[in-house]
Amino acid sequence: MKSIHLQRAVWLALILLLAIQSAPAEDDTSTSASASKSLLRVNSTNQVYEFFQPWIKKPPFSRRGIGALIHGGRILVTAELVANSTFIELEKPATAEKSTATVERVDYDCNLAVLRPADPAFLTGMQPLALNGPLKVGDEATILQLEPNGDIAQTLGRITSISVAGYPSESGALLLFKLGATLQQRDGSFTLPAVRDGRLIGMVMRYDARNQSADIVPTAVIRHFLAELDSPSYRGFARLGVAFAPLRDPQLRRYIGLKEPGGIYVTDITPRGSADAAGIKKGDVILAVDGLPLDQDGNYEDPDYGRILFSHLTNTIKHPGAVLPLKILRDGKTLELPVTMQVANRDHAISETHLSDEAPKYVILGGLVFIELSRPYLKEWGSKWASTAPQRLVYYDAFQNELPADRGRIIILSQVLPTPDTIGYEGLENIVVTKVNGQQIKSLADLSKAAKKPVDGFHKIEFEEDPKLLFLDAASIQSNTDELKKHYLLPALEHL
Amino acid sequence: MSRFSLIALAFLCSVAALNAVEISKSLVRIEATSQEPNYKTPWSPGDVSSGVGAGFVVDGKRIMTNAHVVSNARFLTVSKEGDPNPYLAKVLHIAHDCDLALLSVETPAFFKGTTPLEFGGIPEIESVVSAYGYPVGGTRLSVTRGIVSRIDFQPYSHSGMDSHLAIQIDAAINPGNSGGPVMQNGKVVGVAFQGYSGDVAQNVGYMIPTPVIQRFLKDVQDGQYDHYVDLALTYRNLFNPASRRALGLEDETTGVQVCSVYSGGAADGNLKPGDVILKIDGHTVSSDGTIPLENEAVPLDEVVERKFKGDKVELEILRKGKPMSVTVQLKEPWPFKLQSNLYDEKPRFVVAGGLVFQPVDQNFMDVHDPSDQRLNYIFDYFIADQLHTDRPEIVVLSTILPDPVNAYAEEFRFSVVVEVNGHRIKRIEDIATAFDEQTDCYVIKFAGGGRPLVLERKAIEEARPRIRERYDVTAEKNLKK
Repeated sequence: MKSIHLQRAVWLALILLLAIQSAPAEDDTSTSASASKSLLRVNSTNQVYEFFQPWIKKPPFSRRGIGALIHGGRILVTAELVANSTFIELEKPATAEKSTATVERVDYDCNLAVLRPADPAFLTGMQPLALNGPLKVGDEATILQLEPNGDIAQTLGRITSISVAGYPSESGALLLFKLGATLQQRDGSFTLPAVRDGRLIGMVMRYDARNQSADIVPTAVIRHFLAELDSPSYRGFARLGVAFAPLRDPQLRRYIGLKEPGGIYVTDITPRGSADAAGIKKGDVILAVDGLPLDQDGNYEDPDYGRILFSHLTNTIKHPGAVLPLKILRDGKTLELPVTMQVANRDHAISETHLSDEAPKYVILGGLVFIELSRPYLKEWGSKWASTAPQRLVYYDAFQNELPADRGRIIILSQVLPTPDTIGYEGLENIVVTKVNGQQIKSLADLSKAAKKPVDGFHKIEFEEDPKLLFLDAASIQSNTDELKKHYLLPALEHL
Repeated sequence: MSRFSLIALAFLCSVAALNAVEISKSLVRIEATSQEPNYKTPWSPGDVSSGVGAGFVVDGKRIMTNAHVVSNARFLTVSKEGDPNPYLAKVLHIAHDCDLALLSVETPAFFKGTTPLEFGGIPEIESVVSAYGYPVGGTRLSVTRGIVSRIDFQPYSHSGMDSHLAIQIDAAINPGNSGGPVMQNGKVVGVAFQGYSGDVAQNVGYMIPTPVIQRFLKDVQDGQYDHYVDLALTYRNLFNPASRRALGLEDETTGVQVCSVYSGGAADGNLKPGDVILKIDGHTVSSDGTIPLENEAVPLDEVVERKFKGDKVELEILRKGKPMSVTVQLKEPWPFKLQSNLYDEKPRFVVAGGLVFQPVDQNFMDVHDPSDQRLNYIFDYFIADQLHTDRPEIVVLSTILPDPVNAYAEEFRFSVVVEVNGHRIKRIEDIATAFDEQTDCYVIKFAGGGRPLVLERKAIEEARPRIRERYDVTAEKNLKK
């Protein structure tokens, strides 16, 4: 009897073991099966403007990524995949059935875009992926790729860090997951969905092959993006508009009379940003945001992610228009300032950090090419642009907050197209314009306007550096206009 | 007739024959032991190194060589052909801006049997010259031959900031040739001084021509060397018809447009951007900035090159269409020196709380190579953007000697110091003065307006002996060059 009992017990144990083993296997196949109905290949043909010759586009190139169908018939991809796109095509992995698509909305700040197929019926039979909740460091997730035959290739990885970090547009920092995984190059880009339990946990946007680490835009950011999309008007991500230093140094804490723990030191304020409008100043110490105390590095205790930088709260959890009380220490006294969160107003930016999908502005005067300083322009110098581009321009771009708030855009004579009117000016490049015909130049529109009013028959152009000033013959450049356009195949002499 | 020409030839031959003996008798091998200060640990005396160069005997029992052969020298010996004994030598005069130096020898007996070499003029293009020296490949005298390839203004790499007339020759010039004479017809027509390494250009060597040498010899006649002088302005061609008319130039008139006039320089207050320089000391300036001088078109700067501190230059200019005469008294082109390589100077610094403060110059930038964008801009545009009017020196926090007192200072490395306890920092002395003040704490503010760095005096005093000992800081400040 005893032995039979024992045998039964063994059987039971064996069955249990089998059940445990088969459970993840079952889950895996279901992930694969359900995910395959939610994935689309996205082929985007992109064409970038040539910033050195802003009237032409560089040769087209194509990027391939994988989009995830989400609720509402939207296909989620990274903004980078479709940046400067001229043609987007969706492809079903198994059948290779294709449809053209349009961008419903792209936001480079969060590196996300949603696409819609030209024919909504294209999505028939597909299933949207649901969004997963927050993850923790150490959680597993699977990155999905497609084999040439349409099968799904899965790469399992583990979340190695959750932090607020810089996004590719360089406009600010948002929540970012890092997932340790050994990814293979399969689809021409690393725009790939990442899932857990059949639910989307984020979009991979970059992969660092050396460290075997994928950067993932998490669902918290995706949810904010989608909520903005469903609101009456899309506003995006608000910014507090401060730069800060941690307050770890006890000598500094004693000097500013900081007795309570935590707090961060405001080192810079973006002119016309949320903090600026609320009256926050350089040298203020921010002790708490929305009632949540900050530690000496600027972290608050988030219910989902634990200790994380306060900007996750201000930029992602909160939406533009939200009013957050900030607890400030100023001159030894604490005060509370309500801050209305606003999206960064780029109209007043001195140098744009990111430009996509639009032709760069320019004005050509008699062969002198004028453009606006922007980081994409500096990046034309290649990967080491920060040290190889003209240092004055790099400095203006990097420290634009320190320039007078009414500085306006930096207008540059970027190059000289040799014409009879520009004899002797060959080789002038990348010099900052101060005045044209006596008028201060704070935008290309200013320059275009000033160029309509020559003085004594001359255009007088003044610069910050050598040659300091030069002249053009107004009548002569007027009569040479057609010749100039024909000669250099210029579509227009200005684009504003 | 035929007899006469024969004699002439014979005479020439004898001169040439004499040369080989005479020149080698005047040639000097220089062994220099130098000590280059370390800008990373400015209190330490620096590493000792040695090198070999050439020189030659000139008038007045002096030896001429390159400045770079004897820069930062601590111990110098010279020896001559046929006498293996080393003789102790000293630097008499050194001119880093034109890479020339004069040495004296302590034992007068050294000059016995030597003949001072004489100087010739500017050799013609394509004429043959011989370079003498002690280049790599052996220890004895070497002679190489070549022709004059080009005569032009060239940057002098020793200082890195100065450009003077230089003559390019295709005779091989290698390390060890430096300071040696380049001869033609028994006379010195140049001093070999720089070249390109083989992977940049082949057979390109440069020598300092006699106008530059003569200027140096004349300059030191009063017992000291003054720097080259400069107008401290930039100019640009005036080819453009619109610019010419707008600035008031007649059809046949030529000149150049004044671009920048550097504040504190010689032309400051005399010339303005947009002025047109028509004539310099009576020489008509062509629209590309050259003037005819000794049948050559040379940059108008050559007029200034030949002058000395305190000399005057007469300029005829056009200002807003009106002709004017302007007299400019020449002076040393401060603050250009900031961006030249410096030699025979001690690094200046102040150490406080394990923080090393240093003024920024080319030597500093070469050694530290900071990748700080703000500092790079301030250094690069110190003159062009007249940043020097605000602060004559750029003082930075260069190094942090880690200690609990400065545990949170790392982010300020290479930041430009603006203020200490409310005192503006315009030169390194200001830092020393600020830290001499007896206050409870020192509040240091940096360019860019980030957070202040606060050091409590008590903490500094406590840290002082341990930092001195741990990092072997033998001196806490040096303010003298």
